[in-house]
Amino acid sequence: MVGVRFKEVEKRDQAVITTGHSTPHLTPPYTPPITTTMPGFDFSNHNRNLALHSRGVPLPKATSTGTTIVGCLYDGGVVIAADTRATSGPIVADKNCEKLHYISPQIWCAGAGTAADTEFTTALISSNLELHALSTGRKPRVVTVMTMLKQHLFRYQGHIGAYLVVAGCDPTGAHLFTVHAHGSTDKLPYVTMGSGSLAAMSVFETQWKNSMTRDEAVALCAQAIQAGIFNDLGSGSNVDVCVITKEKTELLRNYITPNVREQKMRNYKFAKGTTAVLDQKVITKEEISKYVTVQDIGDGETGVGEKMEVDS
Amino acid sequence: MASLFQQSMPSTGPGYSFASAPTHHSSSGPRQHAFYPYTDNGGSTLGISGATFTILAGDTRSTSGYNINSRYAPKLFRIGGDGPENEGARIVLSVVGFAADGNALKERLDTMVKMYRYQHGKEISVHACAQRLSHILYGKRFFPYYVTAILGGLDDEGKGALYSYDPVGSYEREQCRAAGAASSLIMPFLDNQVNLKNQYDPASGEGLEKVMRVPEPLPQETVEQLVRDAFTSAVERHIEVGDGLQMMIITKEGVQETFTPLKKD
Amino acid sequence: MDALVAQYSQPSHSAQDTTLDDSLALSSKIAPPLSLNFELPPIDSHSAWLRAMTDDHSNPQCPIKIAHGTTTLAFRFKGGIIVATDSRATAGNWIASQTVKKVIEINSCLLGTMAGGAADCQYWLAYLGMMCRLHELRHKRRISVAAASKILANLVYSYKGMGLSMGTMCAGVTPTEGPALYYVDNDGTRLAGNMFCVGSGQTFAYGVLDAEYKYEMEEDEALELGKRSILAATHRDAFSGGFINLYHVKEEGWVKHGFMDTNPIFWKTKLEKGEFSNVTSKLE
Repeated sequence: MVGVRFKEVEKRDQAVITTGHSTPHLTPPYTPPITTTMPGFDFSNHNRNLALHSRGVPLPKATSTGTTIVGCLYDGGVVIAADTRATSGPIVADKNCEKLHYISPQIWCAGAGTAADTEFTTALISSNLELHALSTGRKPRVVTVMTMLKQHLFRYQGHIGAYLVVAGCDPTGAHLFTVHAHGSTDKLPYVTMGSGSLAAMSVFETQWKNSMTRDEAVALCAQAIQAGIFNDLGSGSNVDVCVITKEKTELLRNYITPNVREQKMRNYKFAKGTTAVLDQKVITKEEISKYVTVQDIGDGETGVGEKMEVDS
Repeated sequence: MASLFQQSMPSTGPGYSFASAPTHHSSSGPRQHAFYPYTDNGGSTLGISGATFTILAGDTRSTSGYNINSRYAPKLFRIGGDGPENEGARIVLSVVGFAADGNALKERLDTMVKMYRYQHGKEISVHACAQRLSHILYGKRFFPYYVTAILGGLDDEGKGALYSYDPVGSYEREQCRAAGAASSLIMPFLDNQVNLKNQYDPASGEGLEKVMRVPEPLPQETVEQLVRDAFTSAVERHIEVGDGLQMMIITKEGVQETFTPLKKD
Repeated sequence: MDALVAQYSQPSHSAQDTTLDDSLALSSKIAPPLSLNFELPPIDSHSAWLRAMTDDHSNPQCPIKIAHGTTTLAFRFKGGIIVATDSRATAGNWIASQTVKKVIEINSCLLGTMAGGAADCQYWLAYLGMMCRLHELRHKRRISVAAASKILANLVYSYKGMGLSMGTMCAGVTPTEGPALYYVDNDGTRLAGNMFCVGSGQTFAYGVLDAEYKYEMEEDEALELGKRSILAATHRDAFSGGFINLYHVKEEGWVKHGFMDTNPIFWKTKLEKGEFSNVTSKLE
């Protein structure tokens, strides 16, 4: 498994963003039909899906992060942590997903609920916050993020299934919030969310104390996540931690890996020719380069890009 | 056979067809029924029979929803035998599904097998026990046991015998069978590795000339390894499987039980 | 002979050992004997409840998935009766088994087929076998196919509306009837006929069977036709597949003609006879 990686988050590029219209404002020769240019969500399949559902066709399963996420304030900063299991029903969809989302360099968000909703909501708020920071010329505040999130989520009445822990440091200090999918929020010194929230909260309720050090807070959050990993079926695999102080943000990806898979007993390589093939066709490099750009890489070299994680 | 009877079946009670259900209610979550006596306790079991042995295995986690009820709740039971531990038993039953039904079923079969010995003065054969189990399950055809059972033992010739059941007692003797939550993950693996499905002899011809590999009874060590790999893999991808692996190996010497820890997340 | 019948109608030990009475009473409480004492759920509407729990067709989310069986056929011809089935059992969309024996050997001259609930067919055809044996002992001759099928039809009729699911055929040859074929299903229908196909793949099997069937066929032709009809059904019906189980019922009794994997038969049929031309084995 991947070892503990410490990564300092660099300041994101804030150089070129223009505020003018990107396309020249021309008078169009006709007005395009409203249906195709309506902003926001497309509800055109809503009635059809309702009809299908009433006939017993199940809805497609969204990948949900039946999750444990926690956050904890300490003297000088704030810590958030998450497990790394994503599930689709009872099936583990991703054993090592990232549930800590970037909002701004000093503000991060842990997400539970529907994976896509947490991903896109945080990305949207992150973008809007950037614009907001640029137009005000100030560092963004955690309350602002919390307010933007709750207003966005309240508008969609819980249909956007994002349950978030917002944490960060701004000129007013370190802050920690929770935001529920329906738009309600909380401000507390230690918080938990997701299906493993009860397991995690039991750790906080027994061990939390006022004015902890950084290391104490990280250890406590990690322990709370592990309580979720082992006692809640929706949570599992590894612990991700993010520590935010006035000065910097530390993302500790896979801070603890208590669930490394053991070696398999047997080898499952098939001898060449085990699979029956009816017919085969060889496509040459020349033929394929009609459609895509082909670039040679030397023998033994692997292509650029992340290496796929495979067993044994 | 889902589509044999296209029309809804005649009924004395109210209809439960989705087609006739009010549309605005059914979209909001699963249909609730006033009498719902079942819980799915998750977990998985599997059995493989060989030339001189049968192996049954099951994980020991018991769940309800996202909660773990127990990390050691056995799904494998010795049937017949003596004393509270059923020593000397030669038949093993595995049940997965609703644990309470599974336990009731085990108790019933165990009693039947013991009654058989008291009445006939000899041990029941696996064949007879398998049929008896089918009848016990079918006895609750109209109020089923929510379980999938697998029965293992040795037949009259000393060969491994494995019988698998559906909840209402249809049964079949097989080489291997996976049941429970991760059955859809394990069974294809077993089809491929035990019955050599979709595997052809690499040395044989090309294309349609290729000859299918012929399955043969596997040695005990191989089977034990396959069982372990099946479970460690199921644990990786199914949230209801984990904590421990209980295995029972039935040979002519008796039943040997082993326990190996599995991942607990 | 009456003594013999009595002996087989009751547990053998009941007469010889009175001290066993207590244990027998216990055992009959623990598991009902074959005498139709089924446990019912403690509510008024059993059948509706059972359907909500087990009927995959009306409620795909039902918690208990019962294994179902699929394409079966039987037809009469001059040389007797051909019985053929596939071997797939499905529970919802899950293929529960590819090796089900859907031809049930009731006795040496009588065959039953299973479609519908696998457990229902297995259990009641075994029960039918028992009743047929008792009939033989009582009347000193084998039961007619008509009578056997009627025992089954009356039986399932008594459970009408309770949720049994079976579509079965009884095929046999007796000196009085000659080759006889009956169809019995769970709503109590009982039909005599020359040719039946039952199950979700029935239409595909009928398609081939109706096109090629002649009463005056030779034995090998008839066997081939039975096999080909099941093959057509396994090809087009997702709920049918696995192996083809072939039987020939003659006056001397039934003969088994194999349990054959469909996949090699499919390719053999395609390549040697040029059938199934919709399936291609060539690229482009």
